[in-house]
Amino acid sequence: MQSVFSKFAKNDYAKYPFLKEAAKYLKIPDLKIEDLATPELEDILKRAEERVEEAILYTRVSRKLEKADNEISSYPVAIILAAATKSSFIQKRYALAEAKQTFEDLKNEKDKPKEKILTFAQDFGWKLALNKDSEITYEFALNFTDYLRNTTHLRGKKWKLVNRLLSDGNVYLTRTETARLLSEEVRKHIEKRVEVKELPRFPPKIIETAEKIKELSAEKIGKAEMEGFPKTVVQAAFPPCIEALYQAVSSGRHLSHVGRFTLTSFLTNIGMSPDNVIELFRTFSDFNERMTRYQVEHIAGERGSRTRYIPPRCETLQTHGVCVNPDELCQKIRHPLTYYRKKVKVAK
Amino acid sequence: MSSQKFTERKFGDYYKGNDVSICVPTSIEKREFGFLLFERGMLRHITFKAKEALESFLRATTCSDVYHSCSYYESPEAEMDRKGWLGADLIFDIDADHIPTSCERVHDGWICGNCSFSGKGIAPKKCPVCGSEKFNIGTWPCEVCLDSAKTETAKLLDLLMRDFGFSEKEVRVFFSGHRGYHVHVENEAIKTLAAVARREMVDYVSGLGLDVFFHGLNEKNWRVMRAYQDIRLDDLGWRKRIALGMQNFILSANEQDLRNIGLRKSIVEAILRNKDAILKSLLETGTWGVIRGVGFETWRKIAEHGVKLQSAKIDTVVTTDIHRLIRLTGTLHGKTGFKKVEFPVLAVDDFDPFKSAVAFKGGTATVFVSDAPEFRLGDEMFGPYRSQKVELPTAAAVLLICKRRAEVLE
Ligand code: SF4
Ligand SMILES: [Zn+2]
Ligand SMILES: [Zn+2]
Repeated sequence: MQSVFSKFAKNDYAKYPFLKEAAKYLKIPDLKIEDLATPELEDILKRAEERVEEAILYTRVSRKLEKADNEISSYPVAIILAAATKSSFIQKRYALAEAKQTFEDLKNEKDKPKEKILTFAQDFGWKLALNKDSEITYEFALNFTDYLRNTTHLRGKKWKLVNRLLSDGNVYLTRTETARLLSEEVRKHIEKRVEVKELPRFPPKIIETAEKIKELSAEKIGKAEMEGFPKTVVQAAFPPCIEALYQAVSSGRHLSHVGRFTLTSFLTNIGMSPDNVIELFRTFSDFNERMTRYQVEHIAGERGSRTRYIPPRCETLQTHGVCVNPDELCQKIRHPLTYYRKKVKVAK
Repeated sequence: MSSQKFTERKFGDYYKGNDVSICVPTSIEKREFGFLLFERGMLRHITFKAKEALESFLRATTCSDVYHSCSYYESPEAEMDRKGWLGADLIFDIDADHIPTSCERVHDGWICGNCSFSGKGIAPKKCPVCGSEKFNIGTWPCEVCLDSAKTETAKLLDLLMRDFGFSEKEVRVFFSGHRGYHVHVENEAIKTLAAVARREMVDYVSGLGLDVFFHGLNEKNWRVMRAYQDIRLDDLGWRKRIALGMQNFILSANEQDLRNIGLRKSIVEAILRNKDAILKSLLETGTWGVIRGVGFETWRKIAEHGVKLQSAKIDTVVTTDIHRLIRLTGTLHGKTGFKKVEFPVLAVDDFDPFKSAVAFKGGTATVFVSDAPEFRLGDEMFGPYRSQKVELPTAAAVLLICKRRAEVLE
């Protein structure tokens, strides 16, 4: 029987250097931090720097397949560079860029695309198989636990398990969907690798390069965004009712009118921008950007009467069934915003 | 002897006797155990290396309820945040309290926590005498309620085995000893699933967040084919379940049922008039939408109702709580004196809780019953009783005392 897995060539690993199997092509198998300063590695370091810079500028990482050896070796060095910047924005951005690139590459594989996807998935330990049931119009079948591990944070009703075809433990997926989930795995994998808690001492050359990358990122992205999501919003200080609404929206569940209003007015009052609130509501299949924008901006006081609405009081929320699992602090307050203000002080 | 003492002695006798058969969870040394000591509080963070140690503990300590963690911990004896979570079994709880039944009015009761005024059925919002909102609720492990819980359990088992692909060996089903059933899934891949992933599984079995759009029931398909070929009886997953739900609903619905899901009178009449044609088309070609004048919106409503009929009504909180304590199989339920017992998945239809879960064999006791509905234990019927003295088999006496419907007499 012919294997359904495709054997990857060196070029494939240059495209997907984070696969475990790629390690056998590394120029220096276990690279030491000190080695990075040696002149022989200059090319590799240069390419590594480029990788991170491309990520910052275009959220993509080009693939230089002509120099496959260098390309593969530059990946672990790029990880070190991203870690050395100590900027979580740059680190996340790099992971995201590699993931996006992978999604494009996997989707557009010309030669034995299905087999390549299978081999890729196997490298990450996924239980992915080709769908053999001709009655089902999907190309792939993925074990539901692997599916859940990679989708629970994805927005959008179509990723909810209950909206998928699930049978005998397998979730059925199109090729594009499979590529999307695999790229999620890549993102998580890289994020974990760059977020090292204890950094080694880097040679001056590396520190220099990391500084250069940071400057570029500051120019391109601007300081505010680099520091991440509005740091004024402290999710840990949300009262139970808001936390429940927030969770519900994030996992694509529908909110009642009161629920929507409460969440929106709460978030805009504690300093989340209307854009970010709108992003949050994007999960609904009935998402209507113009309508949502109008409502959110109205509540935020950027339209119409120009008054900013505040969320209802606890008493009102109780009668509408929005108040859930009130905790100890809830006993002492009458308004969810008061809860937040009190808790933020403690949390800081 | 007080009623309390009587129950404690009977529970103690059970754990010391020969009839007791405790079924310990796998990897017992990684589990936390918890014990309710009748009115004397609770013991937590207890561990045992082996079944024998647990059994001798049970012989030495009189407990009203015995629990173990559904989780596996590195140090199960430590405080919660130091235990070191290793994983957890997947647990489902189906409790009659979450399923509305018509008999609740007959056998349930409430007592005002403030002035002791009492009534039958579901408690009012406010006490009619003193206006207090705190009540003690008295439920009853009734046959009808338990039967509806069993129907939900059967639906859940089907979902777990057909859709999630768990084998008969991985899925275990139990009578809780009170008003419901437990389903445990032990499987390596499941063990380390995070709470959010379990939440997705809960949403799947209870049909929460299901949008029929993604199962082929959308306006585009309707315009193209005038039919929903995706939702078919011979399909898989929720598609098949929705089709089944629609079929069963159309088969049995009367005018009122159809009106209740928000259909207009003329449409209801069209459906009822063409019932046979609809069902025939469904069975033969697998298509809906063969009736003129019955359009997309109507079918969507019927499909959404079909989802409700096919989903399993579980207690959604239990499954996502990965630190939950669950009752140990073979131990007694403090509210009834019944055992938590396991039965084969395939025997779900024939399982009789009022036979299999009876722990006390032999002996009698004389009790004064304040109020109890008619009930059955094994093949024997009892009650109803109201303010009367009766001599009952031990099991029946313990049940009434535990449910606070009777006091023991010397
Ligand atoms: S008491 Fe107020 S703040 Fe607390 S959960 Fe209820 S509504 Fe929210
Ligand atoms: Zn009262
Ligand atoms: Zn009942």
